Amino acid sequence: MTIAAGIGYALLALGPSLSLFVSVISKKPFLVLTVLSSTLLWLISLIVLSGLWRAFLPLKSSAWWPYGILIFTSVVFQEGLRVLFWKVYKKLEDTLDAFADRVSKPRLYLTDKMQIALAGGLGHGVAHAVFFCLSLLTPAFGPATFFVDRCSKIPFFLLSALIALAFVTIHTFSMVIAFNGYAEGNKVDQIFVPVVHLVAGMVTLVDFASGGCIIGIPLLFFIAILTLLHCGKMVWRRLTENRHRQGSM
Amino acid sequence: MDPIIEHPMAQNPRPPTILESLGEELIRIITPVSVCMLLVVLLVTVLNDDASSSSETVNSIATIAYDETASDSSWDKFVGALLNALVFVAVVTVVTFVLVLLFYLRCTRFLKIYMGFSSFVVLGFMGGEVALFLIEDFNVPVDSITFVLVLFNFAVVGVLAVFMSKMAIFVTQGYLVVIGMLVAYWFTLLPEWTTWVLLVAMALYDLAAVLLPVGPLKLLVELAISRDEEIPALVYEARPVNAHDSQGNAGERRVWRDRRNENSSNGNENPGSNSNVNVDHTSGLNSSSNLGDFGNVNNDSSLVRAEEGRIPDRGQELSAPLLERVANVPPRRQEDVVASENLLLEGIGLGSSGSIKLGLGDFIFYSVLVGRAAMYDFMTVYACYLAIIGGLGVTLVLLALYQKALPALPVSIMLGVLIYVLTRLLLEVFVVQCSLNLIMF
Repeated sequence: MTIAAGIGYALLALGPSLSLFVSVISKKPFLVLTVLSSTLLWLISLIVLSGLWRAFLPLKSSAWWPYGILIFTSVVFQEGLRVLFWKVYKKLEDTLDAFADRVSKPRLYLTDKMQIALAGGLGHGVAHAVFFCLSLLTPAFGPATFFVDRCSKIPFFLLSALIALAFVTIHTFSMVIAFNGYAEGNKVDQIFVPVVHLVAGMVTLVDFASGGCIIGIPLLFFIAILTLLHCGKMVWRRLTENRHRQGSM
Repeated sequence: MDPIIEHPMAQNPRPPTILESLGEELIRIITPVSVCMLLVVLLVTVLNDDASSSSETVNSIATIAYDETASDSSWDKFVGALLNALVFVAVVTVVTFVLVLLFYLRCTRFLKIYMGFSSFVVLGFMGGEVALFLIEDFNVPVDSITFVLVLFNFAVVGVLAVFMSKMAIFVTQGYLVVIGMLVAYWFTLLPEWTTWVLLVAMALYDLAAVLLPVGPLKLLVELAISRDEEIPALVYEARPVNAHDSQGNAGERRVWRDRRNENSSNGNENPGSNSNVNVDHTSGLNSSSNLGDFGNVNNDSSLVRAEEGRIPDRGQELSAPLLERVANVPPRRQEDVVASENLLLEGIGLGSSGSIKLGLGDFIFYSVLVGRAAMYDFMTVYACYLAIIGGLGVTLVLLALYQKALPALPVSIMLGVLIYVLTRLLLEVFVVQCSLNLIMF
């Protein structure tokens, strides 16, 4: 429905990430590079998954369980990649610290590490939004709109933009939680992230039922807000601890 | 002591960490590449909407062997495209050798004039053509006299900015990006199979020309090094990065052909010394990476009307060390951009301060790839964009490791083509299936 609507949908999905990018990430070139590389990594994981599943697609059945398996395998694969990402990041952190020592600058602060994790998560989120929402938006710039059978009251583009918004939030902040969990060895956080991802994926299965999106999408947003709150709590706690530790030294 | 309730964020300003400035050079080269790609994608989407424009093929050197029509079988198209690409690469090779010969015979002035002329033709004629398309599409009311006047001025300023004199670096960079965009747009008008095979062929040619001992570009670069001259070429130079803790002390860095000098002088510098910015700086330089600043050869081929054989620009880069770079040198002159008059300046050690240079040919071929992907769908555009940027990063890292001139095309183009094919075959079906059922993860 015209350019205005197309831009509107795009901003709906990516607006918060754009403001996050402009305010936090664009100031530090290294973070921009992190965003780009984590986006590329997510794309590659998506291509691998589609390669795996290509033989079975298009899934003709209207039953929900093939999709359930699809989501399960995809989430498991991506969470595995997250662990890999963490390991690479650990090595990178050591290199950066050594470099900082060599040029006699202070080592990475806690906030720096969190910013890197945030940038990584943002990369994943943006990749999701771009490939699941933006790349399908091209018809939205034209004169018409499109409805899906299962959710026939709301235009498809709006639905995908909303879902993408929720997922962007989930991806961005669960990376921060995950990195923090791995760094601290906090089991709760380490389990929290994959579980949340899996649950969010499964919740989208609810959309399978006719008219299910009315429940599915608010549930998804609930999960996104949960992730956000958990991340906020964790970050606050760590920063306060850090501050106290520094203050008492 | 600290009160119990204290805002963890309210702290005294801390000294900036390396995160503030690390990787800045990479960003400064990725930004113009991205801008050029974006412009080409916009042009392609805006101008190629109607089906009629896709059926007419442009007659040029690149389609001399075979003109693709929609009715041929895939194998025919492939063979025809291969022939086209071979012809094109052959022409390019011949012209590059001619360029090497001219450089060897010290016809530098002639080369410079020729480059200026080709920039004028690109900006004036190709730019004019694109502008005419846009005017037609958007029904812009403008009369021909005004149009010619504006176009002429635009082209002349472009030639001056790129070649003749020192202008504000932003203007020069802008014009280089525009030239790259125009040539890339023209290339996207070629038939589909020809474009893809041509891209792969150019990537392979680049690899051969730069790395093989008999490759023309390698010869050119070695000639330039041995003579201590700059190659006249269209090169995009990223704005040099300023020193953050500027000590006011100018560390002049002769990045061009400094491999021998630096290696000898820098011998036993202790990389860990932190007394003096300059010492740190040179030691950082030497310990980290290369200093080879190689210009890029570049001629534009006017394949449009096939008047003269210009060759598209090639890319090799020179790169200042990337992630291991220390405090950067306060650059002597911000406007010290392209080749030409630098002969004198090089003599007094005011060589370009080590910013990354990328040949315009790389801009062009990256944008051609993305533009072609845009003709299919936007999903391929995003995927290819990420692949190319990733390839560029890998190339720059390799450059830092190997410290010699490297071709910028192969890694990015191969990755780009691979991901285009994979996206088109695999990803699209997957994503569309999932999205239409509102299943996302």
